[in-house]
Amino acid sequence: MSAVLRIESVSRAFGGVYAVRDVSLTVAEGETRAVIGPNGAGKSTLFNLISGHLVPDAGTVSYGPRGQWRRIDGLPPHARARLGIAIVFQGARLFGGMTALENVMVGAHARTRHGFLAGALRLPGQRREEAEIRADALAALERVGLREWAHRAADVLPLGQQRSLQVARALCARPRLLLLDEPASGLRAAEREALAQLIEGLREEGLTTMLIEHDVAFVARLADRVSVLDLGAHIAEGTPEEIRADEAVLTAYLGEGVS
Amino acid sequence: MKPSPRVLVAAAVCAAALAAPLLLSEAQVSVYVLLLLAACVVTGLSMLMGYAGQVSLGQASFFMVGGYTAALITTHGRPSWLGLAAAPLVAAALAALIGVPLLRLRGHQLAFATLAVQLILLNLVGQQEWTGGDIGLQGVPRLEIAGYEFATDLSYAYLALAALGLIALITRNIVASRPGRGLRALATSEVAAASSGVPVATYKLAVFSLSAGFAGLAGGIYAFYIGYVAPGSFPVLLSFEYVVMVVVGGAGTVYGALAGATVITLLLQLLNNVGTMEGMPAAAPTVLSYAVYGLLLILIVLFMPRGLVPSATGWWERRAARGAPASDEPDAAPVRDLARTSP
Repeated sequence: MSAVLRIESVSRAFGGVYAVRDVSLTVAEGETRAVIGPNGAGKSTLFNLISGHLVPDAGTVSYGPRGQWRRIDGLPPHARARLGIAIVFQGARLFGGMTALENVMVGAHARTRHGFLAGALRLPGQRREEAEIRADALAALERVGLREWAHRAADVLPLGQQRSLQVARALCARPRLLLLDEPASGLRAAEREALAQLIEGLREEGLTTMLIEHDVAFVARLADRVSVLDLGAHIAEGTPEEIRADEAVLTAYLGEGVS
Repeated sequence: MKPSPRVLVAAAVCAAALAAPLLLSEAQVSVYVLLLLAACVVTGLSMLMGYAGQVSLGQASFFMVGGYTAALITTHGRPSWLGLAAAPLVAAALAALIGVPLLRLRGHQLAFATLAVQLILLNLVGQQEWTGGDIGLQGVPRLEIAGYEFATDLSYAYLALAALGLIALITRNIVASRPGRGLRALATSEVAAASSGVPVATYKLAVFSLSAGFAGLAGGIYAFYIGYVAPGSFPVLLSFEYVVMVVVGGAGTVYGALAGATVITLLLQLLNNVGTMEGMPAAAPTVLSYAVYGLLLILIVLFMPRGLVPSATGWWERRAARGAPASDEPDAAPVRDLARTSP
């Protein structure tokens, strides 16, 4: 399988302490990759280095959908979004004062064009694009089960729905690489199941997904491969079964005596 | 089909605005022109504050730049329509230029920096020979477009009204479009907006520049209307006035800008009448307006933190929701929700 993301010897420190240290990993096209590790292992930092909210101190991040490789570690987040990288943050980072539908419509920003002038003049092309964005956003809301919330203010949604809304926003961007930072935390059982089915559906469509998750069963069900971080280092990689049997992982992450 | 309350309100506001100059006395028309010009500036500032989350305490400097641009071009023998057209462009270009370093600042740092820009510009303009120094540029000819000379107060009232209509239309269209959504998004979360592909720095610069362009257009009309420009016409207090108008009316709404400009202009007029009564000290008008700004800001922030218009519409919607709970179905008006949430 061809690769879509290549991280080579990436390091990032905060105040002299390494959050991510010399991490190298390659993610294949269409793969669902789980990133696991104890708290403070550097998982979210790694995601921020991919999405562009952090710049590495050393190392390179390259992105190559359909074999068109380019280094992205110098690009700002919005430019990476335009290349097809979407991220769902751990916390609910919604846009207040906007409806759920409008929140999701912002997700389409990366792949749509019209600017201030077209908007101010309401050119025909702009109105057509606007209608398309709207239809796509409604479809994305439908997909995460929030269709009936479309016209409500986003900030009044319950926590679980806020997370789903972020997922819908990311999907509306039609990403090539989707980063999900603990999407299941704080969800109830039924919501987790719906999320798992959604991620499975995305995998069937061939979307490359990276997933930070603590729940081992959730990871085992969804991930093709698992990367384990500990204290900023990439200590193991393999299928969920291989990782379950890995000695280094057992001591670092699951603790002694788990097998 | 019954027209929606929004359309009725818009029609009523337009009709009142169009009829007002005909019903007012000459002195009142002149206040009305200044009110409309303030509303032009405030609409842009309201977009900057309400959607991009940036505060400018130097918005009067762009009003001044527009005024001086129009005055300079016209007093150098160029056609006056060119002066009017150049006023918003020069102001917007200046904002785009100084915005690059300024918009790296946030919150009150940005506010202070814009204030500093105005103080610097006032100083520069007051000392240069080509800007007429402290005396300014006198004898700006009347505006003439395609052979029609804007000579009367009434004609300037309709000119200012046309400018405000254009500005309100542009603002409304942008707010309801893709870049408008990007702006509203970055006002709450720059990180999430950037991840969605919104070029945060560029957008902030664009809306700063746009707001300056609106102020510049108003300044251009002002120069033709008053017939001269001088540093004394664009004090720092004027910038504060615009901010107070935004806060009182409600940031991020076109109606809020209108309401804020109207309330403050009428209040200032009243205070001016009181301050210039016989027996009042010479500083009375200034002291009174500062005091009333302070008082008004405190009252609004305490009791109506969102401003007059959003508070009023919120109250109206709650009342309507109580009156007709059955129609509270979220999908009742699927094609109108954008219009409903934007001003």
